[in-house]
Amino acid sequence: MSDRRPPLDGVRVLAQGLVWAGPFSTVILSDLGAEVIEVESIQHLNPTRTQMRHIPDVVMESVGGTYYVNRDPSEGFWNRQAWFNYGKRGCKSVTLNLHSARGRELFLELVKQSDAFIENNAAGVVDSLGIGWDVLHATNPRLIMVRFPGFGITGPYSHHKGYGSNMEAVAGHTMVRGYADADPSLTPASLHGDPNAGAHVAWAVQAALLARERTGEGQLIEISQSEAVLHHIAYDILDYTLNGRETGQRGNNHPAFAPYGVFPCAGHDRWIAIAVTSDEGFAALSEVIGAPELASDERFATTIDRLRHRSEVNAAVGERTGAMQNEQLAKALQERGVTASALAHQQEMHEDEHLRSRGYFNSITHPEAGTHLYPGPLAKLERTVAVPPFQPAPTLGQHNEYVLKDLLGLDDAAYQQLIEEQVIGDTYLESATA
Amino acid sequence: MSGPLEGWRVLDLTQGIAGPYVTKLCSDYGANVLKVERPGVGDASRNIGPFPGDHPNVDASGMFLTLNTGKHSVTLNLKTKTGREILLRLAKEADLVVESFRAGTLERLDLAPERFAEANPSAALVRISNFGQTGPMRDFSADDLTAYAAAGILQVTGEPDREPVGLGIYTPLFLAGAIVAPMALAAMRAAHRDGQQEVVDFSIQEGLAGSMDRGGTNLVSFQYSGALMVERRERVLINSLPNGVFPCADGYIQVTTQVNWFDRFCRVIGRPEWITDPRMTSNLNNPLEIGGEVEAAFYEWLLPRTKQQAMEEAQAVGWPLSALNTPADVIRDPHFRERGFFVGIDHPQAGHIELPGLAVRFSDTPGEVRRPPLLGEHTFEVLAGLGYAPQEIAALRAESVI
Repeated sequence: MSDRRPPLDGVRVLAQGLVWAGPFSTVILSDLGAEVIEVESIQHLNPTRTQMRHIPDVVMESVGGTYYVNRDPSEGFWNRQAWFNYGKRGCKSVTLNLHSARGRELFLELVKQSDAFIENNAAGVVDSLGIGWDVLHATNPRLIMVRFPGFGITGPYSHHKGYGSNMEAVAGHTMVRGYADADPSLTPASLHGDPNAGAHVAWAVQAALLARERTGEGQLIEISQSEAVLHHIAYDILDYTLNGRETGQRGNNHPAFAPYGVFPCAGHDRWIAIAVTSDEGFAALSEVIGAPELASDERFATTIDRLRHRSEVNAAVGERTGAMQNEQLAKALQERGVTASALAHQQEMHEDEHLRSRGYFNSITHPEAGTHLYPGPLAKLERTVAVPPFQPAPTLGQHNEYVLKDLLGLDDAAYQQLIEEQVIGDTYLESATA
Repeated sequence: MSGPLEGWRVLDLTQGIAGPYVTKLCSDYGANVLKVERPGVGDASRNIGPFPGDHPNVDASGMFLTLNTGKHSVTLNLKTKTGREILLRLAKEADLVVESFRAGTLERLDLAPERFAEANPSAALVRISNFGQTGPMRDFSADDLTAYAAAGILQVTGEPDREPVGLGIYTPLFLAGAIVAPMALAAMRAAHRDGQQEVVDFSIQEGLAGSMDRGGTNLVSFQYSGALMVERRERVLINSLPNGVFPCADGYIQVTTQVNWFDRFCRVIGRPEWITDPRMTSNLNNPLEIGGEVEAAFYEWLLPRTKQQAMEEAQAVGWPLSALNTPADVIRDPHFRERGFFVGIDHPQAGHIELPGLAVRFSDTPGEVRRPPLLGEHTFEVLAGLGYAPQEIAALRAESVI
């Protein structure tokens, strides 16, 4: 009989995981079966839910409103938010005012029963709350703590404020990925370092759990988001360290192949990505786009020739693809062994026959947000997480009773007192701030 | 130094970027990783470069070096029966097997997951492929740019009036590797705990599509509000203050300025009188009124400063302004230097090289970045360890099994 217990069954993780690395770490840990408890408060807005206590109509009507169910700004909108409800699916929520002595005391009690605490609060926050590593380690020597600030917890930039775009900038990522022929001010943020850091957090918790089996002790783990993303531009970093060369902004250009990049297709703002990596591939591409003469053009005879005439060959290809439908073209190219993909948007992803056949989208019913399809497990663990027991994300404070009564053993009177003292609650105070 | 994964054994059948990144994490953090490569050819990344002096050399390709630190390399021809037998003997000793062949390749080689389960029922098999092991697009090829397209993210990356632009060469595949890494440890844990094999089917398309650099969140937003984020975003003025990328004395900086940081902004750029000037404070969200004047004053402060100077002055008061570093800047950057992020390694073919180091820092079990292997460097010792005599190993070499 095969055992279907999820891999992280029995592992309890406390999380103060903020946008975006935080929610990406918790969706992975929760999908893998950990009991993830998001530690929130009614005094401070959880930025993954909202940064504003009330959402003005002008924001709801803009891009900022698309994350809320039906762009509905009525009370409780923070329970109907896409980022949170995806990143925290299957998690639990407890509200604890960590600025109060009682809230902090209860948090430390919870720490005694937990395996890990992951947090990416601004620098200095956990120490000022009196829940820094030394305190937590003394409270529970088996606790694993993962901190993942933008620039790490040591070094000259450790106090630097920043968003994903700042970390990418310092890590050199922004300067290598911009359009090859444009000013860097036209390089958009990619928000790529955040999921990367979040995935590393989910990895680090598990590595430390394995180490704990050997040593019996928890440990402090630090992940600098900017260092984690630095690996991703290794090619350009190494070209500099090995050869002293800086190519600058590459855009979609590949150092070794042409034609290569994103080409226009029929329709408004429709595109295809094509990667030709051999002369045979170029001949096949030329035929599929109805321009076999390109393959015999001496400027394009070999990869080296095509790299020399990169802009000409790209232009010649783009001229033909502009009249073709992107998905059909991608399929035709793949059938001839040429790597290509249509640039898909969300609706096409949802309707995609391939993803459907793999059961990628899964329905979750949330008590306040309703029933929607969510991206599936990020990997299929065929025995233990093939059909994940997807539970909805928690509403604010939904698991206060579970945490305080079931885990910490408070009686009804003590629980009621916490509500009266606003240590806990299930709706944001009118005065709540980000 | 001992890492958190000390004592775990990994058999690495991956090539390229995503798979090797998973096993690199294992190796840097203490696991014993044995990499199986094709005789004479090796991992595809041995041909990617960049190469020292631009001289192609399978033992000195930068991408191979950085992705395969501390691993051991054995060559095996899996198209031969003996090669496969040796592989399964090695699998017997491994807690985790990771492969990134094209979907279906293991089955074609008569190395289906069941064969690995027979060799070691307590081990996990992680399978990384472009589109997964099932489905109509299973056999399609992909690379970093096209996978990003298929994941639905490339469409929204770039300027609205231009073609979408990718993230830099190979970058999305590193993210795919980072996403599958926690899945691999989870599978290994479950297999070991239950004494039953766990098989992971990871599709790079699915991992990226669900990631939180807009992939997964855009998919859920579409469900929540019907909003289709098809178009790349217009750059909008979020307020009257500087936001975005600006040129300075020696390059560029990236800055975000929220209206409630107006006082810090004024003090740093030398316009403290603006803090109490109602003409300014009442127009912080009205760029048409004061945006030009604010920008002129900002440039007056910024243009004579280097990116490093501007960053230090702004960050000293909590204003998030950062240098837009080039690779050369990154290597010299005082922060990464002080933290000792880059690691120097002496390599017999590539010489002294500096590689990005440990991004995850464990207080008690730090791990270590060690020298990457030459192609087949450990073939002899591994086979000898399985009990093959020197003459038998020579025979295997003659038959091109190794």
